[in-house]
Amino acid sequence: MKEKITEFLAERIPIRSIETHVKKPLPKHINWLFSLGAMALFLLILQAATGAFLAIYYSPSPDHAYNSLNYISKEVPFGGFVRGLHHWGASAMVIVVFLHLLRVVVYDSYKAPRELTWIVGVLLLLVVLGFGFTGYLLPWDQKAYWATVVGAKIASTVPIIGDAIGRIMRGGEEVGAVTLTRFYAIHTIWLPWIAFGLVGLHLFLVRHIGSSGLPKNTPKDMDAGKPFYPDQLFEDSVAILILFGVLVVMALFVPVPTEEIADPTDASYDPRPEWYFLFLFQLLKYFEGRFEVVGTFVIPTVAILLLFLVPFLSRKERLPIHKRPVALTVTSISVLSLISLTILGLRSPRLDSTASTASEADQSKVHRSTDTEVFDFGLEEEN
Amino acid sequence: MNPQAEDLASPKRRSFLKASLLFISGLISAVIAVPLFGFAVLPALKKAPKKYVVLGIVDLLKGSRYRKVNYTFQSKDGWIQTNRKRSVYVTDSGNGNFVVFSRVCSHLNCLVRWEESKGQFLCPCHGGVFDEEGNVVAGPPPRALEKLSVKVEDGVLYVKEI
Ligand code: HEM
Ligand code: FES
Repeated sequence: MKEKITEFLAERIPIRSIETHVKKPLPKHINWLFSLGAMALFLLILQAATGAFLAIYYSPSPDHAYNSLNYISKEVPFGGFVRGLHHWGASAMVIVVFLHLLRVVVYDSYKAPRELTWIVGVLLLLVVLGFGFTGYLLPWDQKAYWATVVGAKIASTVPIIGDAIGRIMRGGEEVGAVTLTRFYAIHTIWLPWIAFGLVGLHLFLVRHIGSSGLPKNTPKDMDAGKPFYPDQLFEDSVAILILFGVLVVMALFVPVPTEEIADPTDASYDPRPEWYFLFLFQLLKYFEGRFEVVGTFVIPTVAILLLFLVPFLSRKERLPIHKRPVALTVTSISVLSLISLTILGLRSPRLDSTASTASEADQSKVHRSTDTEVFDFGLEEEN
Repeated sequence: MNPQAEDLASPKRRSFLKASLLFISGLISAVIAVPLFGFAVLPALKKAPKKYVVLGIVDLLKGSRYRKVNYTFQSKDGWIQTNRKRSVYVTDSGNGNFVVFSRVCSHLNCLVRWEESKGQFLCPCHGGVFDEEGNVVAGPPPRALEKLSVKVEDGVLYVKEI
């Protein structure tokens, strides 16, 4: 039976050549870090799948977004689990893609002829961050709202066209219903199409050029290793299974952090971005007054441009990172800065606690009571 | 080769075909791209005129000192008629005049809080500090806090929308 099917297919499509393709041997020296790309691909598919189901109940409007997610978490069967997978999967994606990039740097895998693979990779990194930024407005809670207010203002500091960029991001002057629908469209339609297109290109290049393997591979070693299918794919699947296991545990036991519903007038809320943007949040503190634009625009833009140029900076042969002093220094400094900024951002003092450090409880009481002294001359009733 | 086939394969004809391909795809792209761009971008660039909205009753605000006032006004958000919420600090400066500080930090739009014990506005985001006049004392903010234009009419305090 199996043979008959094979024969039927072989007469119609080139399965034999597909077979030789997927069984193509990899370089002799390779290790499990080469599974990070497959792990990123798995996460992208997991996000697409869980996201497609979340969209069944989610409602992208300021009046309903928050409640529709509550409904998903509390009432829809497996809702908490599906939402948990998507939420923790997003964080995992940022980590895995970052580690994948590091492994490409460490083993000098971006050098000729793999420059294009790298460039498409940097675009994918930006897409992943774009997913993060557009995704966490969707719950329409305090964190969501303020991150977007601040994010759009950051974009507005771009010289000359900044104001227009900020407006285009928000869909107008303010973060509101029009912002939510455009973020939703970008998050669920634009970015997935772009991401899968870029991944297709990325994988085509990887497959066409062939995996680089460790730098110690000699030209003869390049196709003297195990076949991609089933050997490498088996190893990839073990790595993926472990990752999936961690996500399942997180989704089951760590509730998705949810804050109060968005409130543009809240008196006691200290806005903080999602952990993977904390480095930027912290960085912005160091540029005062007219130097503001250095933190909001110059450094991020230069960093991204440099990232694109990485493969063209050196034409030397491939070497492991400990034999490339410049690459080692630059990489270590960048990684350490990112990590330190993130830790500083995490620890950055909350306003209420700074206010009461001077003296103890009494003062914080005074502080609270002035804070709650609110007059609401709303026109709500008048409509 | 008959003359007709030679004609079909001529380099001149090929380059005409290439140029036509470019033209057709360019035409389709342009006809679709221009409206799509306008669709996504133009509404976002439209600037609505700022009008005065009701902040509160003057009698109730008399003697205020950096009093936090939340108010709402009707405004359009895309297809929704919505109550925009705003929050400001109001100070009675005597003779029926009021100083109204916007709470929007001039750095990246977080909401500042008045800290009576220090006589300063503090921003919860990147550590911006403003003095009681709204001028920058410390941190990243590039400008002073905005003072809203106000007017009093029939015992009601109005502020210009921001
Ligand atoms: C959604 C994000 C991404 C996915 C799904 C993805 C997927 C993959 C896969 C499956 C491979 C082959 C296996 C491997 O070598 O690990 C690969 C290789 C590669 N990736 Fe990515 N990648 C992503 C992001 C990136 C980023 C951010 C960069 C760098 C800026 C990058 C640069 C490369 C390079 C240069 C290779 C070739 C490495 C070699 O041949 O040894 N990728 N990617
Ligand atoms: S938003 Fe106020 S200091 Fe940055």
